[in-house]
Amino acid sequence: MPRSDDATYYHDDPAWGDVTPLAQDDGGLHPLASIAYTDEYSEAMGYLRAVMAANEYSDRVLALTEHIISMNPAHYTVWLYRAKALRETGADLAREIAWLNPTALQHLKNYQIWHHRQTIVDVLGSPAGEADFIATMLEQDSKNYHVWSYRQWLVQRFDLFASDDELRWTEAMIDGDVRNNSAWNHRWFLVVGGQGGRLESRRLVERELEYAKYAIRKAPQNQSPWNYIKGVVRAAGLPFSTLTDFALEFADMRRPDDIYSSHALDLLADIYADNEGSKEEAKKALHLLASRFDPIRAHYWNYRKALLEVPETTA
Amino acid sequence: MASSRPGPPEASAPSSRLEEILDDKLRIQELPESDHEYEDLSPQEEAHMAYLESVKIPIVDDFKTESTEIQDETLEVVLPFLEGNPNDFPLNEHGIPHLQKEKHVKFLKKALGDYPAPFAMMDASRPWIVYWSLQGLSALGYDISEYRERVIHTFSLAQYPAGGYGGNYGHLPHLAATYAAVLSIIMVSTPSTPSTYDSINRKNLWHFLGQLKQPDGGFNMTTGGEEDIRGAYCGLVVISLLNLPLELPDDAPARKHGLTSFTDRLGEWIGKCQAFDGGISAAPGNEAHGAYAFCGLGALAILGAPKHTLHTYLDMGALVHWLSARQCAPEGGYNGRTNKLVDGCYSHWVGGCWAIVEAAAAAAAPSPASLWNRDALARYILSAAQFAKGGLVDKPGKRPDAYHTCYNLAGLSAAQHRYLHDGDAVAEQGLDAPFGWTPNGSFAGSRVWADADEVGLVHPVFVIPFGAVRESRRYFAGKNSF
Repeated sequence: MPRSDDATYYHDDPAWGDVTPLAQDDGGLHPLASIAYTDEYSEAMGYLRAVMAANEYSDRVLALTEHIISMNPAHYTVWLYRAKALRETGADLAREIAWLNPTALQHLKNYQIWHHRQTIVDVLGSPAGEADFIATMLEQDSKNYHVWSYRQWLVQRFDLFASDDELRWTEAMIDGDVRNNSAWNHRWFLVVGGQGGRLESRRLVERELEYAKYAIRKAPQNQSPWNYIKGVVRAAGLPFSTLTDFALEFADMRRPDDIYSSHALDLLADIYADNEGSKEEAKKALHLLASRFDPIRAHYWNYRKALLEVPETTA
Repeated sequence: MASSRPGPPEASAPSSRLEEILDDKLRIQELPESDHEYEDLSPQEEAHMAYLESVKIPIVDDFKTESTEIQDETLEVVLPFLEGNPNDFPLNEHGIPHLQKEKHVKFLKKALGDYPAPFAMMDASRPWIVYWSLQGLSALGYDISEYRERVIHTFSLAQYPAGGYGGNYGHLPHLAATYAAVLSIIMVSTPSTPSTYDSINRKNLWHFLGQLKQPDGGFNMTTGGEEDIRGAYCGLVVISLLNLPLELPDDAPARKHGLTSFTDRLGEWIGKCQAFDGGISAAPGNEAHGAYAFCGLGALAILGAPKHTLHTYLDMGALVHWLSARQCAPEGGYNGRTNKLVDGCYSHWVGGCWAIVEAAAAAAAPSPASLWNRDALARYILSAAQFAKGGLVDKPGKRPDAYHTCYNLAGLSAAQHRYLHDGDAVAEQGLDAPFGWTPNGSFAGSRVWADADEVGLVHPVFVIPFGAVRESRRYFAGKNSF
């Protein structure tokens, strides 16, 4: 936040001499949660309200919005008006992106900056440079929700589903932290989302199963790849029993002292529940979860047990 | 929605406090591992440690990554609060800190007051601050009617002439601000003060909402803004509570794509937000997230009775699996995503999903006592999420704010109370379904809170007191048009 000695004012600026600011009038009662704005912020907002009322879109409006954003980057009104001013004035959008980069790095959890960037890149019509910028952002916070959502928008907008670079980058993110669930979700988005939610290619199914298995063997108590592998089996239209041998690697119920993953037990419960003849085994897996391997969720595991008693049609 | 919260700018600097706490913990760990270490433990502390041991997951992978490092650091900060009582709060009969109601009331009243200049960053979020504070105060049993005139005045300044609410005078209208403004107004209004309800320009609001409805069924947050599941929830809450016409205004752009109602294609759009792991995301293809899950379920619970809509638009088995996995062990509080950290705000975002899910699950199985661990959540809130001087927090070492105070208290309420949804009591037309909820008594299972630690009932869908829902319903039900 600029200090008052280097503040920017408009009332004595000849370039703004033709504008009468619209001051805020709080009326009789004192509003709740009111903020004692600096004179600088109050004045700038007064000029913004005036130009908005006059529907002015100009270079000086761009400068004004930049000034207000520097004081309050979470101000959606200013971002929206700026986006419109950029459009109306035919401003240089590459310059806009260059200005946005440091602003975004300072304000990692801001919705507006990402939506604004999306609007600009959409008009620019090219994702060039965006991957590098995203990499910088994720170095600060590898699970930033806005950044990953923006990446998904880029993939969709520029049809990067089949891009080898995109898949390799995602693998590098998972390699960096096999528990980064945002990266797993992005892989799903690329591989399965790109196929409309169905996995019909045998080759792809095999590849994805192997990929998830490799990740699970690194850290069997990591839920992300377990969710992923179950999703792959479902999207491929295969029964859960496809994974029986794999799950047994981590959870042999005959030897409860040698269980290496509660998620393997969870999957076994699903596998055994599919078959009338193995429901007792499913109950055993759920009992182990409730009593020993994941007791905080005992109510949930017991609920799953109760569902085993319910006829298929209503469950 | 979590990220829209305005943290106090810079001023918060929780890291220094965090270091303080970490240092204490390290010193404790430096003590030799011998029996006499335990001689200082009170029987209560021993009981807490035995409990924590009993709910942890006994399997720990050797392979470490960034995620496990910060999880381990977090646990070091949280555990002392679950084992002992570092804040020296008075304890209840279960050896758990009492809910510090008076301190929290004081904190929230202060949150409604004035802010110094650096808080300009929250300018656009002022309606949220008002809503969080009023809802938190109500949950604590505080009578908020003293704020009636100032609430109405505050939002009359923030109401946009063409419809909807912004953060302040001259701000463009936004659906999040509109949601918070409408809930705040409804909370302080009664049918005996009709001018308070009538301060909302329903007709212009309806037109504003018409601009937000998208051809794919979802809602934008503002004109030219992002489309995400907050829009679906906030939009339906406002339409339903104010009894606005479901029909799209003639000037709604979605009409050009053949849509005629606010509800067209909406259930399907929400269904597309269900991620491969069962959770619900901000928009189709994004990662599943606790706050968006609540928005999705809340929206479906307005579209119809949960026992119908959840089964129609979602894979219920996968959803319950994912929600259940959000409860952190042994912390007891919730995280918002797979492999992320516990945070008190998810006490509501995830904890609040259960009433809706249980209402839907009851249709499929013999009614379960409870699908989730209410006791563990209450333990986290009372022991680890209360700030010494008042207000509630994300986790120990963080500063309190109105957001975390409101949603920790809503989560505590969710743990303490049971609700029933009677889908047959409400006509299955329009958006009447959310008015079919009734309280069904306190949770009677194992519990760590005393009667004095109970907070008020919170409506499972609208997240305001039941009385406010009932009275506004009575008022607006009679308004068939404008």
